[in-house]
Amino acid sequence: MHLRIDDIGKAWSGHTVLDGVSFHAGESDFVCLLGPSGCGKTTLLRIVAGLTAPDRGRIILDGSDITALPARERRMGLVFQSYSLFPDMTVAANVGYPMRLRGESPAAIATHTAEWLERVGLGTLAARFPDQLSGGQQQRVALARALAANPSMLLLDEPLSALDPAIRAQLRGEIRALQRSLGIPTIMVTHDQDEALAMADTIVCMNQGRVEQIGTPRCLYERPRSRFVADFIGHANLLPTSFVRATLPTFLERRPPGADATFELCLRPEDLVIEADPRGEGVIEDITFLGNLARANVAWRGRRVLAEFPGRSPLVSGEAVSIDAVRGAWVNT
Amino acid sequence: MSSIVAVRAVARPRLGAGLLLALPLSGLLLFFVQPLLTVLWRSVTDAKGAFTFANYARLFDDPGLPRAALHSLSIGVATTFTTMAFGLCLAMALHRSRLPGKFLIRGALLLPMLAPSLVLGLGLVCLLGRNGLVHRLTGLPTDIYGFWGLLIANTLYGLPQVVIIVSAALERTPARHYDAAESMGATPWRQFIDVTVPRLRFALLAAAFLVFTETLTDFGSAVVVGGSYRVLAMEIYSEVVGQLDFAMGATLGVVLLAPALLSVWLGRLAKRRQDSGDASPGRALVPARHALRDAALGALALLALVPVVAVVGTVAYVSVVKLWPYDRTLTLANYTGGMPDGYGPVATSLGVSLLAAVVGVVMIFALSAGLRRASPRIARPLQVLASLPAAVPGMVLGLGYVLTFNHGVLSSWFYGSAAIVAACSLYHYHAQAFLTMQTGMRQVPDALEDAVASFGGDTRHVLRDAVLPFAMPAAISAFFYLFMRSLVTLSGVIFLVTPGLGLASVAVMRLDENGFLAQAAAYAMCVVVAGALALGLMRLLLHVLKDRRHVA
Repeated sequence: MHLRIDDIGKAWSGHTVLDGVSFHAGESDFVCLLGPSGCGKTTLLRIVAGLTAPDRGRIILDGSDITALPARERRMGLVFQSYSLFPDMTVAANVGYPMRLRGESPAAIATHTAEWLERVGLGTLAARFPDQLSGGQQQRVALARALAANPSMLLLDEPLSALDPAIRAQLRGEIRALQRSLGIPTIMVTHDQDEALAMADTIVCMNQGRVEQIGTPRCLYERPRSRFVADFIGHANLLPTSFVRATLPTFLERRPPGADATFELCLRPEDLVIEADPRGEGVIEDITFLGNLARANVAWRGRRVLAEFPGRSPLVSGEAVSIDAVRGAWVNT
Repeated sequence: MSSIVAVRAVARPRLGAGLLLALPLSGLLLFFVQPLLTVLWRSVTDAKGAFTFANYARLFDDPGLPRAALHSLSIGVATTFTTMAFGLCLAMALHRSRLPGKFLIRGALLLPMLAPSLVLGLGLVCLLGRNGLVHRLTGLPTDIYGFWGLLIANTLYGLPQVVIIVSAALERTPARHYDAAESMGATPWRQFIDVTVPRLRFALLAAAFLVFTETLTDFGSAVVVGGSYRVLAMEIYSEVVGQLDFAMGATLGVVLLAPALLSVWLGRLAKRRQDSGDASPGRALVPARHALRDAALGALALLALVPVVAVVGTVAYVSVVKLWPYDRTLTLANYTGGMPDGYGPVATSLGVSLLAAVVGVVMIFALSAGLRRASPRIARPLQVLASLPAAVPGMVLGLGYVLTFNHGVLSSWFYGSAAIVAACSLYHYHAQAFLTMQTGMRQVPDALEDAVASFGGDTRHVLRDAVLPFAMPAAISAFFYLFMRSLVTLSGVIFLVTPGLGLASVAVMRLDENGFLAQAAAYAMCVVVAGALALGLMRLLLHVLKDRRHVA
């Protein structure tokens, strides 16, 4: 299965939600649509699912144009954030629902349902009702239900946002493992950068209806192309060209040509190297201890930068430090 | 966020939405809009059908009519004030006091919902009329007919509705607001002024408009306890039934329609403002100890509810005496053979109510489900249309039915049938049932509908598997609301009954007019008991429904 999204545009009563979005998802790819709320990522997912019609653009699945195909003929497995289980059906009936709609035999449905429930680790809860399950269990049922329909693609709309942090981390791993073992192309919408970094093969970072950058999690983190991506994914110290010229002139060599205002240097907190130095230009303002790591706000020539170093470092608040950087990326402002 | 939710509706598959809307829409046009327009048209045409305002000029020829208008307004304003005062106290007693026995208050408040204003009026007459129980027992010269009788009957009738609206607003006020006020040192009285009252403003306005409209358009108590204090509803009745002057009846109907429309519109405005409430009620509120407050609220609750119980109790008592008020030997004769038409009218009333409820709930379900998927441009006006019946007095609608359906294609079988009475009841009470259903529809998660669509389900499956499970409690409530209201309504159907089609509420009125109070009371009690049984059944069904998901 190969999905190509081609120049999708959508406006709601004059307000542009999607403005020429394109990307593709290959065989067994896990693609994350990442962006702040209101960036159009959910609308895009609904367009892929066939629940919303785009104003322009095409959706091509395995070479055939499915833009005009109604949702029920697309065979996409959908998992929503919450409240998508039928409250008056048991877990088993929920999972068997898509198969019942297709008129499969009761025996086949029963076998399949049991298999899928086993697969998501809910074999013993088949007779329960949704409101007797925890949030994590409900989402497992929703996942099993989406997959039991034998879909061509799996579409996940913020499936973990409504869950506790511990369950969320656990389900991340489970969803990813299940997806790998099935080799099913998957698109997940999320506003949680950690989730996207941890799960995706490819991240499509969106902002205000446009794609900001597409790439692997590492690529987006280490080589953000725009100020938005640098800021949205991880922590970023964004330094103007004039400041870099005065403090870290070696970075100017790799700066793309252009006026001072067009590019800024993005330094991740771990890119900064700070060492105790009585003659250093920086002063540690405060330190947040995180266990293995510690983060410090450092006053540096009238700016404040965030630096990260090992938790066992002897640096203390108020100490003067020297500052250097090991790598950085120039981003469009 | 709300704007996004609103536009999402456009995107859902619209196949079937048109089909869902077609039937309820044609029902509204045929059985609500058409009769209403007929009344309007009749009021501005003369006998030959030429356009004229002469009917409106005639309003002032008869000095009785402006006087009736003044009476209606006086009663409306006075009733609104007393009902609001007592209703607020009762709601406060229920939600902001530590009074014991709140279930007694709730129970007593059920009575006026089961007994129409007609029955309350009847009870008042039997209790405080010239020959009433109080006069018989004490010899005091009592005479309840007129302003005071109407005021009491309408106040008792309006009480539960005010309590329901105000209670809903009180329940929505989160306890943490009181905690915050308390921690800053506000006295209980200041908390009432600063926390409670601001949250109640719009509920109070909405309730006041509702009571005012209902009182203004009420016919049941007017006909029984109005006496020589004639109000507009009585004048319409006399014009149409007494003098067969349909044009004058229609003109008076339009006069009655105007303030009712205005008040419903203002009430809606008030209600819209109120919806911007706090979403999370949080911890349940437990009122602090305050003996004086509880004593005062308790006394006021007693003052409001003793008459309710006394009036309905009197009807029950009168229904089992031999010959009211002269021979008060207890007997069941009124139930076993004393009723002039036997149980026929009660059976007809039940049948008509069942018809109205069954057809009504199906139509309103289809309408609400269709509106979920319709584009806002279609949905907005339809919502207004479906809520409009709240502003139309039953008598005006009933008169419209007479003028519209006594000729034409439908007249041969429809006019004078149980169906026309059911239709009139259904569309008279359409607005509230629709509102209930809309609220239920809002419980349906969008994700569930989308899920069904993505698994290959069509509109049928969406309705059955996603919408119905969530909308079921609302559908049950709407069904029983329509049933119970149709059972007791008098104003809407008074022009539609024929000798061959007796209804219980009409029988009560006729028997009362002719002085057969005991038999009238017996019919009234049948209606009250049937309503109580229906209410019990509804609660049971809702309970079972609520339980079903958790057990099993």
